[in-house]
Amino acid sequence: MQKTIIRLEHIFKTYGSGDIQVNALSDVNLTIEAGEYCAIMGPSGSGKSTAMNVIGCLDRPTSGAYFLDGLDVSTIADGELAKIRNRNLGFVFQQFHLLPQLSALENVMLPMVYAGVPNTERKERAAEALTRVGLANRMGNRPNQLSGGQQQRVAIARAIVNHPVVLLADEPTGALDSHTTQEVMNIFAELNASGITVVMVTHEPEVARLTRRVVWFRDGQVVESHLAPTELGHMLAA
Amino acid sequence: MDILESINMAVKTLTANKTRSTLTMLGIIIGNASVIMMVGVGQGAQRYASQQFESLGPNVLFIIPGSEKAQNRSVDRPRSLTLEDAKAIASQVPTVSAVAPQLQSQLLVTYRNKKADTSITGITPDFTVVRDFNVARGRFITDLDVQRRNRVVALGSDLAKKLFDGADPIGQEIRIRNISFQVVAVMQAKGAFLGSNQDDVALIPLTTMASRLVGRTSPYGTSISFINVNARDEASINAAQFQITNLLRRRHKIVNENDFTIRNQKDALEIVGNVTGALTLMLAAIAGISLFVGGIGIMNIMLVSVRERTQEIGLRKAIGAAPNDILTQFMIEAIILSAIGGLIGTTIGVGGITLVGAVTPLKAGVSVPAILIAVGVSGGIGLFFGVFPARQAAKLDPIVALRSA
Repeated sequence: MQKTIIRLEHIFKTYGSGDIQVNALSDVNLTIEAGEYCAIMGPSGSGKSTAMNVIGCLDRPTSGAYFLDGLDVSTIADGELAKIRNRNLGFVFQQFHLLPQLSALENVMLPMVYAGVPNTERKERAAEALTRVGLANRMGNRPNQLSGGQQQRVAIARAIVNHPVVLLADEPTGALDSHTTQEVMNIFAELNASGITVVMVTHEPEVARLTRRVVWFRDGQVVESHLAPTELGHMLAA
Repeated sequence: MDILESINMAVKTLTANKTRSTLTMLGIIIGNASVIMMVGVGQGAQRYASQQFESLGPNVLFIIPGSEKAQNRSVDRPRSLTLEDAKAIASQVPTVSAVAPQLQSQLLVTYRNKKADTSITGITPDFTVVRDFNVARGRFITDLDVQRRNRVVALGSDLAKKLFDGADPIGQEIRIRNISFQVVAVMQAKGAFLGSNQDDVALIPLTTMASRLVGRTSPYGTSISFINVNARDEASINAAQFQITNLLRRRHKIVNENDFTIRNQKDALEIVGNVTGALTLMLAAIAGISLFVGGIGIMNIMLVSVRERTQEIGLRKAIGAAPNDILTQFMIEAIILSAIGGLIGTTIGVGGITLVGAVTPLKAGVSVPAILIAVGVSGGIGLFFGVFPARQAAKLDPIVALRSA
């Protein structure tokens, strides 16, 4: 039986006030099941990034309910939200966002620092995660001693080290060339195959084709929620 | 996140930016060093002055012209004390063991082609007893010299050296204000008192001084600068003070305010304490301002650092740092900067004090309270000036922070 991980119900996100209100999201409904590998696409300004921020608990919806792993997180306090980001979610960003003064291993250990994991266990788990993304021999390197693809793999290791229920990636290949894009996408595929739910925002059709489901946004609404990657041509043509 | 982890993280961040961290600490280092040095020097001055007065002995009384109120005004002292007053005290006050009136003036002394602008002091023979001066060579001024207004002089050791350059001065004639005096004695070296050289003096009979050199007279007789009195012992100090007051009031026919002031060693120490205490406070205040400026420096750099590290803050928040974790992190960075700066500043301050103590007579004490206060204050400054930037960091919106590339 499938388990629902993400459920957005009538989500609105409104910016501004008075006469100049803009609906970044208007009545978004979306369900993502455990183990899915899903791409969120759409033209710029379509609300896909805002949706990602809401899903990632970085932003609160103006109205509507958001259930993450069965818990309504749209009403939770800031400090609690930090805990949820820490334990239930893993983030991968376009710009990697590694801390330059820390080694690869220390960067991966960071989420566990905030989770209060003991130091020895932290090291073990970080090393394990780095091995999983193929960087067992780069643990002591600083970010500036690593290539772009390697940096993104460190970021992925950091995202999965706390065993999140969802791995969220915001344009994870946006700063990479086609060869390293392939490398990184292979890792996402492997992680998904091992059972991790992956949701990524991308504007690259080649990247989206490597996922198993595409959600299409336009004008702050979901216009296609279960698009097969093979059907992507229709949307792009439209 | 536990505190050790935060400290570890702060140290990593601070060492990654060594130049900036050092420059930030500089303000606190200078502030702290100056507080400790200034307070130390101030207290050294206090101790030095106190020791000088204590060296006079506990039995000493000073009688100076002018009322208690007049002592606080910078006007010419009235000529209310006379040689006759001093004689009366010596003969009529039973608790007094020695009386040494002095009349002094700064005058030109010459010997052949050598000149010196020196403190000329008119004295009586008891001067050696009360002021603890000793004759090195020759004989001191006698009662007969005073009675006959003899033109004889006892030279301080430095003045003798200056005028005679190693030759024997005894029996030679020197000129003070163009009046010739015969040198009868050279005094033993005495050292400085409150910074004035007691060996660069010429001692002559008080009567000679009054009649031939400065010509100070008053309705009562030969006017003098002040009178040093030795009480018989420490216990009779108060009695002596009381008896002298009564005697002088009677002699000066006073009904209201005294036209003289009597100070004992305790009074003198108190005055010195007040003056040097105020000095210490002023120095500490100036140094405190630099400590405060150092704190503002920390705040300034921390604010820049928050601005510069928005992405780091956003990332930390995205991966699970609560606003409090961010606040703690920046606070700890500020506190570490100011605490280490404080420690370095303290070390420099203590070193500076030791140096000052080695090269000057101000045996500046390393004041433990000053150190504790300076280190505490600089830690507090880190806390105080760290709060604002740290709150700015904690308030950052992770989305905005992550997007600023």
